[in-house]
Amino acid sequence: MSDMSNLDRQIENLRRCEIIKESEVKALCAKVREILVEESNVQRVDSPVTVCGDIHGQFYDLRELFKVGGDVPDTNYLFLGDFVDRGFYSVETFLLMLALKVRYPDRITLIRGNHESRQITQVYGFYDECLRKYGSITVWRYCIEVFDYLSLSAIIDGKIFCVHGGLSPSIQTLDQIRGIDRKQEVPHDGPMCDLLWSDPEETQGWGVSPRGAGYLFGSDVVQQFNTSNDISLICRAHQLVMEGYKWHFNETVLTVWCGNVAAIFELDEHLKQDFKIFEAAPQEQRGIPSKKPQANYFL
Amino acid sequence: MSEDDAVRATNDDAASCKRAAVQLGYWKDPYINYFMRASERKAPEINRGFYVRVRGVHSLLKQFLEITKCQGQIVNLGAGFDTTYWNLKDENLAPKSFIEVDFQGITAQKMYYIQHRKHLLDKLTADQVDVQISSTDLHAGQYHIVAADLRNVGELKKKLGECGVDFNLPTCFLTECVLVYMPPEASEALLRWIPEHFKSAFFVNYEQVNMGDRFGKVMIDNLRARGCGLPGVQYCQNLESQKQRFLSTGWTSADAINMVDVYRSLPQSDVQSFNPPPILVDLGIELFSHYCMVWACCRPPLGLDLVIYKDAPLVTDKKVKHELPL
Repeated sequence: MSDMSNLDRQIENLRRCEIIKESEVKALCAKVREILVEESNVQRVDSPVTVCGDIHGQFYDLRELFKVGGDVPDTNYLFLGDFVDRGFYSVETFLLMLALKVRYPDRITLIRGNHESRQITQVYGFYDECLRKYGSITVWRYCIEVFDYLSLSAIIDGKIFCVHGGLSPSIQTLDQIRGIDRKQEVPHDGPMCDLLWSDPEETQGWGVSPRGAGYLFGSDVVQQFNTSNDISLICRAHQLVMEGYKWHFNETVLTVWCGNVAAIFELDEHLKQDFKIFEAAPQEQRGIPSKKPQANYFL
Repeated sequence: MSEDDAVRATNDDAASCKRAAVQLGYWKDPYINYFMRASERKAPEINRGFYVRVRGVHSLLKQFLEITKCQGQIVNLGAGFDTTYWNLKDENLAPKSFIEVDFQGITAQKMYYIQHRKHLLDKLTADQVDVQISSTDLHAGQYHIVAADLRNVGELKKKLGECGVDFNLPTCFLTECVLVYMPPEASEALLRWIPEHFKSAFFVNYEQVNMGDRFGKVMIDNLRARGCGLPGVQYCQNLESQKQRFLSTGWTSADAINMVDVYRSLPQSDVQSFNPPPILVDLGIELFSHYCMVWACCRPPLGLDLVIYKDAPLVTDKKVKHELPL
């Protein structure tokens, strides 16, 4: 069988939420690394494009998302990171995205979230899930190597800056981002950490983040960054917003999230904006494993 | 599954979370593993949240025990698989009488474990006490387990009587995520009954707070999806409403603290021993801020009315609270 039909078969498997063989994961990860290594830290993306927030292993929400937003390659997608952890299907979710990336490299852009990290995935579920589904951590190791190759941000038509978390006090220009050596574990501080961890806050200047990583950035910081880089909007994810999306600072920053209610942000070729809101996939379609989900509360 | 079953199931959840956190070295509890098998790893904010909860409740109980010189009584309502009695025994801090109350399905299960785990039973029979066991209740000297539905104060009164409860001794009542599952009239009747019958009482309640915001509403929805309604959530709007429920049912003073502040009161050395460090843990603060501890007094013995929250460390023997497997 040719490589391409092999890949198409893997995509079909993954679309049904079935895992693929360990040897196939190895080859897939090697191929996706070849593609990702060519991408810039500020990857250029052309409109029209649909921007999506954290997926966190919620495979059935991702499937719903493709239903609402259109399939790859018909729709051009930009995912803002946090593909793994918390949900039951981080393996299937992340591998499907990688397979689509290899198959349609120009129709799907993946950037790194703070959960695409060795340390975080060991405590938030992806590590355990790989171990459970493959009986060893080999697949986890292949995946974390890919994490280090994921781009840190994207820019749509030179006007809309997209990043998982937000801004950094050590970064004033996009060129400074381009200068970061990103092929490493997410550091605990510094510009690369901040891009993946920071949050906007109704304030001025910089604030200490309650997360213990990244910073809180105010409206004046955004205004200055947008002016000096000639951009009109910062689009990011990282925070749960109940309504699916949330504007900040007079519509200069946008948070998109896929949670209980998910939103995707559609930009046409003139950068005209539209939101599609959808409910998380109904319970009966999810094929929830018989095991109850982890407690998220103190009961 | 009935709503009561869903409430009973919260005990398994809490016990399993405590066991997971103990396993990681957050605190020492050599008894929890007899009640709950090891389970999957929990998220660090859950481990830390239980650490803060156990430490917070322990700190308040310890103040009660110190002030009453261990001559009072502790009544844990909705105790589940709580192991406090065994641990207090090891610390030589057990009060005159320690009574646990829960649904009979849970008490029967707990008694089964006690009867079949030598380490648990030995502690109870250490002082040559005679252990009396029925299908749902256990009386072993100063330690008692009784089955009662807390929505029925008459039943509770009868069961406490069977434990030989002394209405004249200072008595500390404890509820952790219990009152919120009761209809308001039932929890009010319970809270009112205590100051009416006990000469001197103290109450420690750990449960939800700030439930009127979006996070709280989502929590209500998510718990309902698991079959757990929160009929008492009206008292969980803020610290004030939590205190007010006591002041309006015959208690003379009440105070409260948000669990975020309990977390922040942990010594720096302790927080620095966390691995992964707090820097790698997201969402914890928002979750913690939706829980609180309330303590209330009625005709307290000298000193007990002045209780302010004072952090007291838990017994621990591991230096690092370790969560990273590699």
